[in-house]
Amino acid sequence: MKLKLAKKNFIPFLQSLMDEYDLFAPVRLAEGASAYKKIDQPEEVDLSIRNPQKPAKEIFFPQSEIMFRYEKAGKENRITSTEEVKRNRVLLGARPCDIQAFALIDQVFAGKDYTDVYYLNKRKATTVIGMGCDGPLSTCFCSSLNGGPFQREGSDLFLTDLGESYLVELLTEKGMAFQKNKFFEKPTDKELAFAKAIEEKSAVKVKVSVPVDGIEKRLDEMVESPYWVRVQEKCLGCRVCTYLCPTCHCFDIVDEALTKKGRRVRNWDSCLSSLYSQETSGHNPRPTNRERTRQRLMHKFNYFPKNFDRIACVGCGRCIIYCPAHFDIRQTIKEIQKGGDT
Amino acid sequence: MLNTEERSKAIQAKIREKAKELLSSKKVDLIIGFGEGTLPLRTTPIFVRTPEEADRLIWNSFCENNLATYLHKLSQFKIGLVVKGCDARSVVALSHEKRFKPDQLFLIGVPCQRMVDRRRVEKAFEGEILHVSEQGDEIIVEGEDFEKTLKREDFLYPCCQVCIHRTPLKADVLVGDPVEESSLVKVHADMEEFEKKSPEERWRYFEKEVGRCIRCYACREACPMCYCTECFVDSSNPKWIDKGLSPSDIDFYHIVRAYHQSGRCSGCGACERACPMEIRLTYLTQKLNQDAKELFGFETGADPDAPPPLSTYDTDDRQEFIK
Amino acid sequence: MSHMKNPYLPIPAVVKSALVETSDRMLRTLELRFLNEEDAQTFGFVPGQFCELSLFGKGEAPFGIASSPTEKGSLKFTINKAGVVTTALHHLEEGTEVGIRGPLGNGYPMDLFKGKNVLVIGGGFAFTTLRSLIAYFLHPENRNKVKDITVVYGARTPGLLLYKQELAGWEKRSDIKLVVTVDQGDKDWKGKVGLVPNVLEETAPSSENTYAVICGPPVMIKFTFPKLMALRFPNERIYTSLEKRMKCGIGKCGRCNIGHLYVCKDGPVFSYAQLEKLPKDY
Repeated sequence: MKLKLAKKNFIPFLQSLMDEYDLFAPVRLAEGASAYKKIDQPEEVDLSIRNPQKPAKEIFFPQSEIMFRYEKAGKENRITSTEEVKRNRVLLGARPCDIQAFALIDQVFAGKDYTDVYYLNKRKATTVIGMGCDGPLSTCFCSSLNGGPFQREGSDLFLTDLGESYLVELLTEKGMAFQKNKFFEKPTDKELAFAKAIEEKSAVKVKVSVPVDGIEKRLDEMVESPYWVRVQEKCLGCRVCTYLCPTCHCFDIVDEALTKKGRRVRNWDSCLSSLYSQETSGHNPRPTNRERTRQRLMHKFNYFPKNFDRIACVGCGRCIIYCPAHFDIRQTIKEIQKGGDT
Repeated sequence: MLNTEERSKAIQAKIREKAKELLSSKKVDLIIGFGEGTLPLRTTPIFVRTPEEADRLIWNSFCENNLATYLHKLSQFKIGLVVKGCDARSVVALSHEKRFKPDQLFLIGVPCQRMVDRRRVEKAFEGEILHVSEQGDEIIVEGEDFEKTLKREDFLYPCCQVCIHRTPLKADVLVGDPVEESSLVKVHADMEEFEKKSPEERWRYFEKEVGRCIRCYACREACPMCYCTECFVDSSNPKWIDKGLSPSDIDFYHIVRAYHQSGRCSGCGACERACPMEIRLTYLTQKLNQDAKELFGFETGADPDAPPPLSTYDTDDRQEFIK
Repeated sequence: MSHMKNPYLPIPAVVKSALVETSDRMLRTLELRFLNEEDAQTFGFVPGQFCELSLFGKGEAPFGIASSPTEKGSLKFTINKAGVVTTALHHLEEGTEVGIRGPLGNGYPMDLFKGKNVLVIGGGFAFTTLRSLIAYFLHPENRNKVKDITVVYGARTPGLLLYKQELAGWEKRSDIKLVVTVDQGDKDWKGKVGLVPNVLEETAPSSENTYAVICGPPVMIKFTFPKLMALRFPNERIYTSLEKRMKCGIGKCGRCNIGHLYVCKDGPVFSYAQLEKLPKDY
């Protein structure tokens, strides 16, 4: 079903969402920095942001999350889990690349043996309103990884910016629940055609440019290659790429304690940290940046595909834009495909 | 007087020539310098090991990284390092801390005409910048449907604007004519504003800036002076701070890291450039550097023989704060 | 919303007893019993599996289960005092409540061992889950599941041997060949003196129809492995239990991977045939 939301109704529309749901949307934190946040004032929402630094996975997998609280009473412990999601949620304005990434992380956190209830409860409670990219960047390569600037997979509703209004497509059962929203109108044929034109223009911009076919097999042959020493020379191990990557899912679990009570918290972590694999004995299986960079690249393009048949990259380009040493993963992929020839 | 473009071209040629010479004579094992990036406005650190590869070395207004930060990973090699004024000052500070052997480094010094702030350039345009070239003292910026010429003077990094010693001191060779010491006595523009604020206002400003920190520690890794194998944030016994996003932990991290830079920071701005959330970090270190100058007459790396103030004791040291 | 089981929540257990195993006081065996009877009933495990023990405020750490599934009513863990959590576990008093998450991991391939001989090689305090394995097969209900059981276990000195009482009992049995050795004896030690790899060579167990399980410090494994090769053990029939830094223990946090496998979920028990195909990331 295709409906339309006039931009002059945007703020009251947001308010109508906030009356029923916890709303998460992109917010500008400073001139050049943004993230997805829980919205307190509808005016905070800024859908003109190309792609916030922090990926949308934060909504389901927060950077820092309490898992349970405990309280000591004598020799006993009382535990209260925080896994429950009290109110249903709407995620507004996520781009198709970030939404693709949800499907990848779902594979890790769902799993047949153990379910990560913290993540899954939030996933189940959230309606995803995706937004098409009418201005993809030259660093975007989603089309090379089964994605695209207007890919609708994973969205319950999907927005296209038409200038004066948004085209709103209701795609799933969850999405159809919004059809009665009083701010939605019927779009004209002209508007529908305009939306189609925007979509076609964007698709051309993000042509398939990064050769990922067969990269898993290539990497099988390169485990001990000298390439890993060369490729990481300029890498500072600064971890920006892992913290901004929509598909990275590594985390640390720690206890934060006061005397009698405290909580168990999980925080994002990065395989590029020097102490990531450090064992209490002092032994570190990944002692230098060579092993750690190899781990990162092989996890994305070899280990994850072995387990889940998908490459753990959605081509959002954040790692290319924000790396202080200007590491370009598209170049790395091409070099790997040539067997490590730089 | 050469304009920036001519100067850069001449410097680039000299860097390549020197690199070839050093590698052929095996005076160094490798050269660390700058190479072409895959995006406009960007260069990337490159590691050159053969004279043939030396032609990959470039020089322009976007050679922003402080390459001294790579020395810690490569301490077993003899390295030819391309340094600007600030980078050379970091090297001096590192040599005081005995981070490498005296004859391990060959410094290829570039008298710096100050680097262009690529984020400011990007923010000046609505659309994506697709191509950039330098002409004279200007930058020509092209996008899908725009082309504009900017004066590079208007788009310099804040730390470059207040940089005084732009010619590397103690370089083994200078690949350009020395740049006159900047006569700027004006401090960091933001510093003046900042110092006018009351302590409460300063704290609010600080909290607002670091409030968006994501604890990625890019600032730490990009900094040549942060080389501890176990940073205080990673210590679990004793555990100084937690690893989440609690505001007091974030404040603590940034304050302590800034303090760890006292008398050591060269003001290169690598920390601020590395931060993905564009947090203003250099005003803290600039303030501490200013304090070091006022209290101890010390400027990091300006005098190779001056010992770092926080690791020396002088009977003349000020004591008025001891009550 | 349907209630899914939260695999991160520890189950309460109480310290039943604690015993210092070694002369350097670095190894302590904790015996834990579940606080709730239904938790004790539903906890079924296989030798080689591990649990994450929680000390709220300090953290969590993984430990191999040292007791056998045949030893009902409690679980035993042998803790090496090394870091924050393990030091705290060393100071626990009887009756203190802790948390258990488990059983985790894949355990030893008990089905493969059926009808075969089992050779167990252990070094130092890596012997914990081997104790579980041996005790399981020595139980009357399980003894005839496998044929010959040979055990070579060594420690640096006699004081550092674990489970001294069990070892003494096993030595007296005729249905198990137990060889205990030390690198360096003391004035009271009457047993064998020699490094594990050499003692293994001396013992020369047959590799025919035999599965080998080896757990020990890297240096011991490094020198014992060639001896196993010399005895003609193929990689598919040599198993080991790996250690790696872990956090979630359930294959979500990404930390303990070796290649595409997770030590906590696809391991910690691996055959050498499996390890050959994985990056040397351990």
